[in-house]
Amino acid sequence: MAVDEARDEPPVDLDPLLQAIEHCYEQGWTDGLPVVPPTPELVERFLSATDRDPDEILANISQFRRVATVRQIAVCAAMAGCRPEYLPVVLAAFEAVIDEGWPEAGAWQSTTGGGPLLIVNGPVRTELGFNSRGNVFGPGFRANATVGRTMRLVIIDVFGVSPHELDQSTQGNPGKYSLCIAENEEESPWEPLHVELGGSSDESAVSALHTRGIDFIDNRQTADAHHILNDIGDSIARTGTILRAEKRIAVIIGPEHAQLLATQGMTKRDVKEYLVENAVRRLGDLRRTGKDGVRPTPSNAPVSTGSMHGWAQPSGSAEDDPGWDRRVGVLRSPDDVLVVVAGAPNAGVSAVAQPLGFPPRFPGHSVVRPKRRPPGEPA
Amino acid sequence: MADVIFLERRGVPSAAICTDALQASANAMAALHGAPGYRYAIVPHPVSSLDADGLRAHAELAAPQVLEILRGPGAGGEPGRHS
Repeated sequence: MAVDEARDEPPVDLDPLLQAIEHCYEQGWTDGLPVVPPTPELVERFLSATDRDPDEILANISQFRRVATVRQIAVCAAMAGCRPEYLPVVLAAFEAVIDEGWPEAGAWQSTTGGGPLLIVNGPVRTELGFNSRGNVFGPGFRANATVGRTMRLVIIDVFGVSPHELDQSTQGNPGKYSLCIAENEEESPWEPLHVELGGSSDESAVSALHTRGIDFIDNRQTADAHHILNDIGDSIARTGTILRAEKRIAVIIGPEHAQLLATQGMTKRDVKEYLVENAVRRLGDLRRTGKDGVRPTPSNAPVSTGSMHGWAQPSGSAEDDPGWDRRVGVLRSPDDVLVVVAGAPNAGVSAVAQPLGFPPRFPGHSVVRPKRRPPGEPA
Repeated sequence: MADVIFLERRGVPSAAICTDALQASANAMAALHGAPGYRYAIVPHPVSSLDADGLRAHAELAAPQVLEILRGPGAGGEPGRHS
């Protein structure tokens, strides 16, 4: 129904609903956009979509003095606009976010301003309508938009990490509202991410990676696999993203690029190995940006924060030092490269997701646990 | 901020040093842990881009504040709990 036809509908008293939406704003429960008021009846509908105990604790983060239960996650999913049947995916998404290891290490408070990128794999994509094709990072798809949004509402409402207070993000990034994609398994020439991580193709899973930004790579004027990967490598090694001597990276390859690479004989592993060799900067580029030296971190630095990887800093060398042309790689290992296929096969476009720091576990991951009993049957 | 409050609760005299740009989150974290108004040393932002002389100047600003916090507000006072 077009918006201008709505005036012909019988009048409905929306005032109580609008007042409830305003109430949620007044309580500081929103991300700035309106939320669905989480009435007890609505939350119960969500809880009936899982076998899990509503009081099961999914995370306990001491610096916030808060835990997150299945019920609290369900409340946030309801507020975010999810359908009740999304809840098992939401729970897996939250578990994946925790599994990455960043929240307990303080990432949600960080000036770096990352937010979780969720990657959904498996049959649940089509069952619930997750978009894996055109506009995969963009708007228009309820499952992507609301499952991703739920993570932010959990961070704000369950853990109390609000901007200008505990959230110290210097600039943040738009993905902090919602950032959830599905892998385009049907148009990928390679095995899907969750199978690569050891799962079965008939189960569903969510992977998570706190991300500071998505950079596009537009390369549709060549059919040479190395041209495309060199272009992706340049974005991986952009100097502004270099904070440490080594990084991890997620590459979201468009189906057109993926099929072109596969046609020229490249496996997913080949792609990762090529990028390790070719995501490089010249030492002179690093000198010009004050990032050509590495300050080692103490040997007792906590591994959980990824801080064992030294910080980039000026070396003090002159810009005309004869070593300026030396290639410096930013990736340590093919295992530090995540390759996912997503988007439409209608142009040579790919993207890199620049993670927050050096993720402790890469990626965070959790399997979706579907409800076993039919709806309405008692637990 | 949480760390120094945890340490104080274990009886370890502690003092945090914070830049002026990060006070809002420091205050929020102190309140979250039941210590609203928790006192900490404040130095100007930024720190990470300072050279050795700049760091020394910051240390000279911080040191007297840290000593005052560790000594407490007076006999019988709880360290760091100025409000």
